[in-house]
Amino acid sequence: MTTVQDLPQIKGVKNIPLEEQFTSGHRTCQGCESALVMRLMIKAAGPRTIVVGSTGCMYVANTTYYSTPWVVPWMHTQLGSSGSAATGTAAGLASMMRKGKMKQEPINVIAFCGDGGGADMGLSAISAALQHDEYNLLILMYDNESYANTDIQVSGSSPWGANSTFSPPGKVHRIMNKRWKKNMAPMLATGHPNCRYVATACGSYGLDFNNKIRRALTIGGPTFIHSIDPCPKGWDYDPKFSHELGMLAIETGLWVQYEIIDGELILNGPSRSIGRGIRKRKPIGDYLTRQGRFAHLTPEDIQYFQTKVDETWEKWWMPGVIPLTMSDE
Amino acid sequence: MSTVAVEVVYRGIFQKTLARNIVRTIVFAARKEGKIGTAFGRYGDSPERNGIPAKQFAVVADDPEELDETLARYEPTEVDVTINVDDTLCKGVESWAWYGLQPINQLTKPDGTLIVTSWQDADSLIRDMHQKDAPIGLSIVKGTVSFSGLWVYKDDHTDVRILGTLAKVCPQLVSLESMLEAIQEQMDNETKVASAQKSFDLASVRPVEPGEGNPETPYKFELPGWKTMEEGVVIRGIEAGAGFRGGDGGYQPVRSEVFKKYSTRSMRPVINFETCIKCTLCWLQCPDTCFDVTPDGLYDANMESCCGCGVCEAVCPVPDCVTMVSEADFEDNNSQYEMWQEDKQGYNSWMTALVDKQKAETRTHGFHHVGGYAEEISEMTEA
Amino acid sequence: MTTIAPSELFQTEKEDLISGSEAIALACALADVDVITAYPIRPYDTVMQYVSKLKADGVFDCDFIVAESEHSQFEIVKHASSVGARTFCGSSGVGWFYAFEAITVTAGLRMPVVAMVGNRALDDPGAFGTEHNDALAVRDLGWMLYWVATAQEALDTALLAWRVAEDPNVLLPMAISCDGSFLTHSQAIVNVPTSDQVQKYLPPYDRGKLQLHPDNPITVAPQVNEDWLMEIRRQSDEAMQRSVSVIRDAYEDFKKTFNRGDPSPFIEEYMTEDAEIIIVGMGTLALPVKVAIRRLREAGRKIGFVRVKFFRPFPTEELRQVLGSSKAVCVVDRDYSFGSPSFAGVLFHELRSALYSLENRPMMLNFIAGLGGREVHVNDVNHMVDIVQKAVDTGKIEQESTWIGVRE
Repeated sequence: MTTVQDLPQIKGVKNIPLEEQFTSGHRTCQGCESALVMRLMIKAAGPRTIVVGSTGCMYVANTTYYSTPWVVPWMHTQLGSSGSAATGTAAGLASMMRKGKMKQEPINVIAFCGDGGGADMGLSAISAALQHDEYNLLILMYDNESYANTDIQVSGSSPWGANSTFSPPGKVHRIMNKRWKKNMAPMLATGHPNCRYVATACGSYGLDFNNKIRRALTIGGPTFIHSIDPCPKGWDYDPKFSHELGMLAIETGLWVQYEIIDGELILNGPSRSIGRGIRKRKPIGDYLTRQGRFAHLTPEDIQYFQTKVDETWEKWWMPGVIPLTMSDE
Repeated sequence: MSTVAVEVVYRGIFQKTLARNIVRTIVFAARKEGKIGTAFGRYGDSPERNGIPAKQFAVVADDPEELDETLARYEPTEVDVTINVDDTLCKGVESWAWYGLQPINQLTKPDGTLIVTSWQDADSLIRDMHQKDAPIGLSIVKGTVSFSGLWVYKDDHTDVRILGTLAKVCPQLVSLESMLEAIQEQMDNETKVASAQKSFDLASVRPVEPGEGNPETPYKFELPGWKTMEEGVVIRGIEAGAGFRGGDGGYQPVRSEVFKKYSTRSMRPVINFETCIKCTLCWLQCPDTCFDVTPDGLYDANMESCCGCGVCEAVCPVPDCVTMVSEADFEDNNSQYEMWQEDKQGYNSWMTALVDKQKAETRTHGFHHVGGYAEEISEMTEA
Repeated sequence: MTTIAPSELFQTEKEDLISGSEAIALACALADVDVITAYPIRPYDTVMQYVSKLKADGVFDCDFIVAESEHSQFEIVKHASSVGARTFCGSSGVGWFYAFEAITVTAGLRMPVVAMVGNRALDDPGAFGTEHNDALAVRDLGWMLYWVATAQEALDTALLAWRVAEDPNVLLPMAISCDGSFLTHSQAIVNVPTSDQVQKYLPPYDRGKLQLHPDNPITVAPQVNEDWLMEIRRQSDEAMQRSVSVIRDAYEDFKKTFNRGDPSPFIEEYMTEDAEIIIVGMGTLALPVKVAIRRLREAGRKIGFVRVKFFRPFPTEELRQVLGSSKAVCVVDRDYSFGSPSFAGVLFHELRSALYSLENRPMMLNFIAGLGGREVHVNDVNHMVDIVQKAVDTGKIEQESTWIGVRE
């Protein structure tokens, strides 16, 4: 395994590097949290990094030919290929360095994908990438909970009941998306014994986000981070609330912040105090009624949503994380 | 032969439904008079990005053959009426899918009309518009710019007020009667018909003479050919940044030379550098990397990058330290920090004036909470 | 598997009894390929079985990745190629189709990936035998396509492939087609060159200013709209046009270095001088055809054969030269194009359009033979020739395309 870069944990916002590796030239929406996620991701990783991005908003709106926001080398990969792109890039570098065809140097390899590219189409390639512990790579799934780039179509990562161009509330069927959001991070953490680091994150917590990226890049081997990205376009809210909605997702207990390091689960941020029962979860209505995509939900719908969230904290074997219960027998 | 083309210039997503209502109703109104028409959005603008300028068109003709004459070219080269539903777009339009700044009146025919929804007066709107070598008319629909999102439409009658005005300033398109009929049929709402009628009665046109307006030449971009483009679909990355304004202290990223966010913005932040506690949040949480870090640890919003989302205002812990104000209140994209450095007192009074003005006329950018639009509309009707 | 001890391999020129797949695996070792990806499907995967053994035995060092699908298999090498690694992968039949998206972007991004296609009939129904429709399906995407006829040619062509594909004036991927079973599963005597010879012939892959690396911070493949795509396609078109002379030079150099090869890199001619009827085909079909021709020549018949080696770039000039003077051309397709202009094979249609501008166009007849791996026997060849001869004698083509050996 090639060595990793020296990227220490950042102590305090004042010590976050000023250097930007993702600047301007992108044409993302006003208040695009995913653009922030890109910026925080590469700010933490630094200039000796190669980024490969699969199709989605962060490809199409970020890099429209002849303009790019990237200071670091960046390359597009296909919608379902973030795992393969990371593996191929890391393998090419590793092979050439080992054979003396390229200068020996730890180069970060990060592949990102949206929820459509990651939780749906690219799942098998990500799973394969997480088995190759000879390669240092990070796969970041920025999750805006729909195929936002192509006009907001429902994905396997969209929340129950959400309005989308493929799940519009109608006169007969109010709820068109009856699927419950995929539980990506635990699925990958429990399914890949050699993967040393899996985390969830949210751009609203910039420092925490930076440090999770650094942990993922320095622990060695393939790693995975799933970030929740409020999307003013698809969730339908005033862009200035991107930050606040990210926090609300966590404070209501719908989204859980944690790291899984060598199989050990560490809740962090508000999720930590919620998990320890120190902090009360905000009612899910506070989150749902702030977004146009849920405007059609009835009070009963919101109650149902609340019950499902309660279950994850009260019934799950590992609260908020792993949807299993231990049999009494 | 009489073909009439109308374009609606709007903010992507925020005003998509509004623009759609306008262009579709135009075509239905024309049908009332036995004319034929089509309505469509620029394919190049889709998928739309919220806030990023986009366009929809309505083209109406006496018969199908005439319509083909115009449609033979996908995007009309000139229009009888340009409808601008966000007055800040008077500064120009740069879609997310193209390069270069297109003046708001670029497609407006000589003696055509530009309709703008705004509280501003004609002179301040004309100051923003690029000069044209032919005269056009300007008609203002007085009101707050209407923004809503994809799923919930803010029905503040902006669509019908524009349609009423359109019937007045462009009688060759359709008669008021046909327009009102179409509105009733499409929207099934008496009060909206009344709003359209009222706007028709109030509508007036202010001539804009050649040479009036912004004398600047809009930013143009020459597309290179296959022999000069790099192979392998490769472009060069952005260069690494350095100190603030190239000095030793602070930090300033290098920014894209081919795409500036000037026209993607309907608001911009003004900063109170004296109450700033340097908490870093505006800088850290900005999705657009728009804050230059000054040598003394302050944060200067760089208008090349800012798309006006307002997150900096939302995360700032100090009251009125970062305030989003209407883009319409600015003639330039100069550095606020440099203004403040040159004349602190002058800057502070300028800033305070802007902040107070903003408090007087709140500009919202879409969905706040269930029932929010109803509240906003009732406030408007009271005012 | 090779009988030569790993330690002795490539030290001195050696003869060995190996299959086409194994020959290409040895070429991978000789070319010191950096990243190789595998996924199982018959018949191509024999090459990966050999590659993995060569790596296990320490014959050469590469990152050998068993992907979880053909799509990932091709995506991985595409990205390895972007950072400057020499790459190899391959597939067969529907496996090749499963990778189709990755295959098209590999060409679009100008990644000089070299792939082996073990030609296989397309599902359904699942047939393992050879058929050329799999590789032919990418003919419009910017891949260079080659059909080999022998194990020796498979080894030689692989070395040529990296040399041409990685040439800065080309930077296009190349697929080497080997007929399933005939080449992938049967052994022949092959001359295995030395590492020194290959190193002399094959320079390192240098992607230059297009290499993705922190020292060369570029953005690769930003999304384009209608303002840009035609220019980008035109660039790939130019690269494919440039490849013709690059192939010619590389082949001349090959012959000098390894002392073997045909006069032309694009086609193989057999008894074409003075031939009135010329059979045209691709791949291992050459064997029964040549045997048949030898016998027909003994009987005084003026029959010749042209084997098309490069299908992309298509050797239009060479074929006009050879076929222009013949009376009739007998195209044998081990593929089929449903609903095509003549309800005939792909090679037939391509060839006919290539010859269209000739002043004296020969008669053209097409034969569909050997689909799904069915053998084409000498008798079948005689049968085709008889049909063509009849057309020549009567000056009339009764049927443009005929299925050979199909039960009624």
